Amino acid sequence: MGQVLTLKRRQNLIGWLFIVPASVLIFIFYFYPIVRAALLSFQTGVGVNLQYAGLFNYQRLLADNVLKTSITNVFIFLIIQVPVMLTLALILASLLNDPNLKFRGFFRTALFLPCATSLVSYAIVFRSLFALDGLVNFVLTSLNIVERPINWIGNPWTARALIIIALTWRWTGYNMVFYLAGLQNIDRSIYEAALIDGASGFTRFTRITVPLLKPIILLTSIMSTNGTLQLFDETMNLTNGGPANATLSVSQYIYRLSFQYSPRFGYAAAISFVIFVMVAVLSFIQMRVGDTR
Amino acid sequence: MRKTFGLCLFLILALTLAGVASATEITVWCWDPLFNIYAMEEAAKIYAEINPDVTINIVETPWDDVQTKLTTAVMAGQLDTLPDILLMQDNALVKNVTNYPEVFYDLTESGIDFSQFADFKVNHTVVDGRNFGVPFDNGAAITALRVDILEQAGYTVEDFTDITWSRFIEIGKDVLEKTGYPLLSAVSESPDHIMVCLQSAGTWMFDENGDVFIADNEVLKETVEVYVELVKSGVLVQVPDWEQYIGTLNRGTVAGTINGCWIIGTIVAQPEQAGKWRITNIPRMDRAPNATQYSNQGGSSWMVLAHSPNKDVAVDFLKHTFAGSVELYETILPSSGALATYLPAGDSDVYNEPHPFFGGQAIYADITEFAAQVPKISYGVYNYEARDAVAMAISQVLQGWDIDSALREAEETVKFLMGP
Repeated sequence: MGQVLTLKRRQNLIGWLFIVPASVLIFIFYFYPIVRAALLSFQTGVGVNLQYAGLFNYQRLLADNVLKTSITNVFIFLIIQVPVMLTLALILASLLNDPNLKFRGFFRTALFLPCATSLVSYAIVFRSLFALDGLVNFVLTSLNIVERPINWIGNPWTARALIIIALTWRWTGYNMVFYLAGLQNIDRSIYEAALIDGASGFTRFTRITVPLLKPIILLTSIMSTNGTLQLFDETMNLTNGGPANATLSVSQYIYRLSFQYSPRFGYAAAISFVIFVMVAVLSFIQMRVGDTR
Repeated sequence: MRKTFGLCLFLILALTLAGVASATEITVWCWDPLFNIYAMEEAAKIYAEINPDVTINIVETPWDDVQTKLTTAVMAGQLDTLPDILLMQDNALVKNVTNYPEVFYDLTESGIDFSQFADFKVNHTVVDGRNFGVPFDNGAAITALRVDILEQAGYTVEDFTDITWSRFIEIGKDVLEKTGYPLLSAVSESPDHIMVCLQSAGTWMFDENGDVFIADNEVLKETVEVYVELVKSGVLVQVPDWEQYIGTLNRGTVAGTINGCWIIGTIVAQPEQAGKWRITNIPRMDRAPNATQYSNQGGSSWMVLAHSPNKDVAVDFLKHTFAGSVELYETILPSSGALATYLPAGDSDVYNEPHPFFGGQAIYADITEFAAQVPKISYGVYNYEARDAVAMAISQVLQGWDIDSALREAEETVKFLMGP
């Protein structure tokens, strides 16, 4: 009896030993800063002169017009970009899953490659591609699609379109890889059976692929929502939030409040909790809608 | 013989001391290898002769990083990660000194003679009557013009000297019509042009008490009107970013520019345009009561960190170089165009040399004269907030808003950001 317990205890102990390093690191580098940020969000003041002020910061952000603008902006990105990107990723994944496709490895690598580039450098490359005398305008004017070069980062909606194009280029391949992995788990025989029953390619896609990939679609949509709400690098480097704050993201506003303006870390921390709540609420809704178990 | 003996003795002593106490190292954060870093390197060479025990360790740090690192270090209480000396943008100096009291070393009693620097420049480094920075580069605003293009329209640089903005726009339209060249280019969304005009009339986006002064600021309103008129008439062409602004100058798609005099460094980078440029003072506001032809754009100053164990050495270094060596400024001017605000350097012959790129005009003497007349203003603690808000207002006005409501919204935004 004692022997068994000892063995069990020993196994438990070994299990705990495996978990401890990661847990300690997560506690130190995740949970501790979150608690500190929460405490910070209850403090108000400029620079190092901070005092506790209860919920003052949370009250203050209700009257913040720039914050409202930035939240509107990220939701515009979210509503347009995430569905477009995920649909594209899904289509590409099912195309690339075709075992008869030639150069499959090459296409997969090519589509995934954008994810290996640094966020800042790709933003800068996009900036020069879409400059007034950049490649995109050159092609568009040469093909007579537009009469005069488009000032992409000069107009609110073209600037937003530019951010959406850039985000889609950067992240579609990333999501595609998740779908490809998911597709490996779908039995070929299901498709063969459907083929024998005379199902078209489109029907097979909508009736077999999409339903069986649902958990993965849910995962990617939560990740993309999360990523879009925390958008920073692209708006910072491509448009710098302009024109007239039309592409300002919430994270960039936090950065401005902390490092460009007279620093108000307490208020910035309060705004970061707003993002946290938005992510939590949206993820909850998506789980409710998407998870039918 | 005696002298050699003395020197030997001194050297031995110095070497022994260096061996025992080890050399003092002064770390400096600054940006731009062709300008600030180069000047710092030359200063280090000069100081090496005065105090050979000190080595100057220059760490290239772009301005944005200086600000971010400074904020992070102070908030985390890790002041020892900061250098001994750092270069500070003038428009952020008051903000940083006010928000982080006791982080910067008060230089008022350091023995540095601040009366030797241009008045307006010293004013940017003073907080509550105390000096916190050793003034460095000159940002006096100039109008730089391509005389070859102006000639085609029948104008000379003299036609642009001591004029008002309405006259400038009038000539600009004529030049545009006759030659097809706009006179100016500017980065859209950047409020720099507005800022130059505001300072030229001795006013800013804050009043003397530090309160927001945007919505009822008649001068600001006039500057926005001027800017909108410049854009709408085509006399000023807006470009999306700084690289493309530089491009308009170097590729010669505009006939001139108005900016801080450091823009000369960019202009001379295009050798085929040699001899075609001249400079003059900037246009003055038509209605503003204190309008002048002089202003400032950009510029930075050296600050000493108060926690530094070597702050006395750092101060001594600055005193003997940037605040005391005409030789330093004579060295750095011809090769980098780093124009000083150190007045004794202005008397140097180097400053009166004709500049071949500008058709033999003694531009440095001219700019030194402009700098002496720049109106004194304080940028204030909330300068960056106000800049962004006014930039937003310009954007709105160009999209069709009326100026009053755009400025009112800008004032509301800044007031909110300044709020408790």
